[in-house]
Amino acid sequence: MSVKKSEIAYISSLSKLKMEDAEMDNYTRQISEILEMIQQLEKVDTHDIEPMAHPLNMKQRLRLDLVTEENRRELYQKNAVVLEEGFYKVPKVIE
Amino acid sequence: MERYTLKNLVAMLRSRDISSHEILEMYIQRISEHDSSFNSYITLSQDVALEKSIQADRLIESGDPLPLTGIPYAGKDIFCTQGIKTTCGSKMLENFIPPYDATVISNLNNQGAILMGKTNMDEFAMGSSNETSYFGPVHNPWDLARSPGGSSGGSAVAVAAGLAPIALGTDTGGSIRQPAAFTGITGLKPTYGRCSRYGMVAFASSLDQAGILALTAEDTAILLESLAGFDPMDSTSVETDVPKYSELLNVSIKGKTVGIPKEFFDEGLDAESEQVFLDAIKVYESLGVQFKDISLPHLGLSVPTYYVVAPAECSSNLARYDGIRFGYRHDEIDDLDDFYLTNRQIGFGAEVKRRIITGTYVLSAGYYDAYYLKAQKVRQLISQDFKKAFQDIDAVMGPTTQTPAFKIGEKIDDPVTMYMNDIYTIAANLAGLPAISHPCGFVQNLPFGLQIIAPHFAETELLNLTHLFQQETDWHQKQPPDLNEA
Repeated sequence: MSVKKSEIAYISSLSKLKMEDAEMDNYTRQISEILEMIQQLEKVDTHDIEPMAHPLNMKQRLRLDLVTEENRRELYQKNAVVLEEGFYKVPKVIE
Repeated sequence: MERYTLKNLVAMLRSRDISSHEILEMYIQRISEHDSSFNSYITLSQDVALEKSIQADRLIESGDPLPLTGIPYAGKDIFCTQGIKTTCGSKMLENFIPPYDATVISNLNNQGAILMGKTNMDEFAMGSSNETSYFGPVHNPWDLARSPGGSSGGSAVAVAAGLAPIALGTDTGGSIRQPAAFTGITGLKPTYGRCSRYGMVAFASSLDQAGILALTAEDTAILLESLAGFDPMDSTSVETDVPKYSELLNVSIKGKTVGIPKEFFDEGLDAESEQVFLDAIKVYESLGVQFKDISLPHLGLSVPTYYVVAPAECSSNLARYDGIRFGYRHDEIDDLDDFYLTNRQIGFGAEVKRRIITGTYVLSAGYYDAYYLKAQKVRQLISQDFKKAFQDIDAVMGPTTQTPAFKIGEKIDDPVTMYMNDIYTIAANLAGLPAISHPCGFVQNLPFGLQIIAPHFAETELLNLTHLFQQETDWHQKQPPDLNEA
C-alpha cells in the first residue's frame, strides 16, 4: 500500500513535525515501504483473538493519593532553557 | 590489554590485590586512550566515580563491603542519572540533566557499584546499528568499519573492548541481544516487568526492558541479583522474588528439552552461520540437553507486528518533547505552533521522525483497526505460540541474528532492510519473555551469537544453560585482535 504525500503532510502536522518538501518526498516513499511490509498482517486470521496490549496481562496497580515527594520546583526548572520569574516561557498565545 | 570480569574484580578487591581507586583509574585511562576509535561513551562521570572509589576502598578496608562495592559499570545513556547528563543519543536531550536516578541505577549504586559513564546508543533506542545516534556511530572493535549493532551498541563495545567490566542496556526489539552477538559478548533481556523501567527514557512502554551486557553468564547472574526487583514507581513492575541466580549456575542441564523453531532457518540465514549454530548445539547435546524440532507458526510476523506496536507507542511517548520544560528549544519564534514544530524538527533525527510518523499514521482515525488492533491480535498469536511450545520444552534456541556484524553505512538508507535485522529477537519482546544471547563461534572472523528464550521469569534457566556452555567453550573469552596488542 502506498501512502500519499498529502497524507504524510497531514500526519506530520498532527505529530508536530515540521518538514521540508524533499524530506516529505523521502518519508512518503519510505513509509509506503514500511506499510507494505506491515500489510503481511492482513493475511492472518485473527477472528475471535483477543488483542494483546501488555505482555503479562496484568491489572493496573493503584496507589493511595498521598503526597510522597516534596516540591523541588527549582531543581526541576533547571532543565528549561527559558524561564521568567520562576515560570516557563512560551510564545504569546493570547492577544 | 586484559578484560576483567566482574567476578574477577570482586575477588581482587576482596583480597586487596587492587583498590577500587586503581580499578577506576585503569578504566578511565583505557577510555581516554582507546575510545576515540570506538566512540562508545557519550559522557564520563569520572570525577564523581573516582571520589566514590575512595569511599569504596574505605568500606572494603572496614571489612564490611556490599556485594558490588567498588565495582565500576557503564550505563546506556537512556537511564536517568541524577546530576549526570542523559542524552538518549539525541540532540533533543543534549543538555538534559536528570533530577533523579532511574531505579536500576539506584539499585546498583545501593549495592556499592560505581557508574563510570554513559554509553552511546541509537537515538531514543530506535535503531539496530548505532548509526542513528546524534553523537555519531559506534565502531565495532572486531572491525572498525563495522557496526556493533544497536541500540545498546555503546554498552556492548565498552564491555567487548575492555572499557568497562559490565554495562546496562535496554532491549525493546533486540537492542541488547543483537549488539551482544555482534561484539562477541553475553547479553540478557530479562522478562518484561523483572527490572524497573522507572527513569528509563520511554520508547515503547509495553516492550522496553532494562538488561545486562557482560563477558559471562556468571557476571550477568551476579549483576541481575542487584538489578532486578519490584519497584512501586513502575506500574508494570512485577512483585515476585529475585532468585539467587549466581548460586543456580551449575545445576545439571542433563535431560533439559530445548526446541529449535524451524522458522529461524529462513532464507536470510546463510549456510556458514547456520553451521556455527549447529556446532554449538552439539556442545549442548554433550551436556545432556535434548533437542526437538518445533514450529512457532506466527514467528515470521514478528517484524510487521513490532513495526506497528513500537512506533505507535513511540509516537505517544515522544509527544512530551516540546522544548518548554526540558529538551531542545529554538529561540526567536513568535507563534506557539511553529515553536513546537521547529523544536521537534531540529531536536529529533530522521529515524525518530520516521517512527513518530508511522506510529501516528497507524493510530489515526480510519487506520486504527486495520493496523494497530490487528497487530495487537497477531501479537497475541505470537505469544500463544510460545505458551504452547513451553508446555513440552524448557527453552527455545536459535541464532541471535541472520549474519554477523554488517558494515557501517550498509543498511542505514533502507529502513525496511534495517528493520529485518531484528527478525529473530523481536518475538521475545512481543511476548514479554526473557532471552539471552551468548557467543557461539565465528563467521568470517566475526563473532556470532546464539539466542535462548525461556518462559516468563525463567532467567535462571537462561543463565544456567549459558554458564554451562561457557564452561565447555572459550568463545566468550576471545577478544578483538587489536586488544591483544594494546
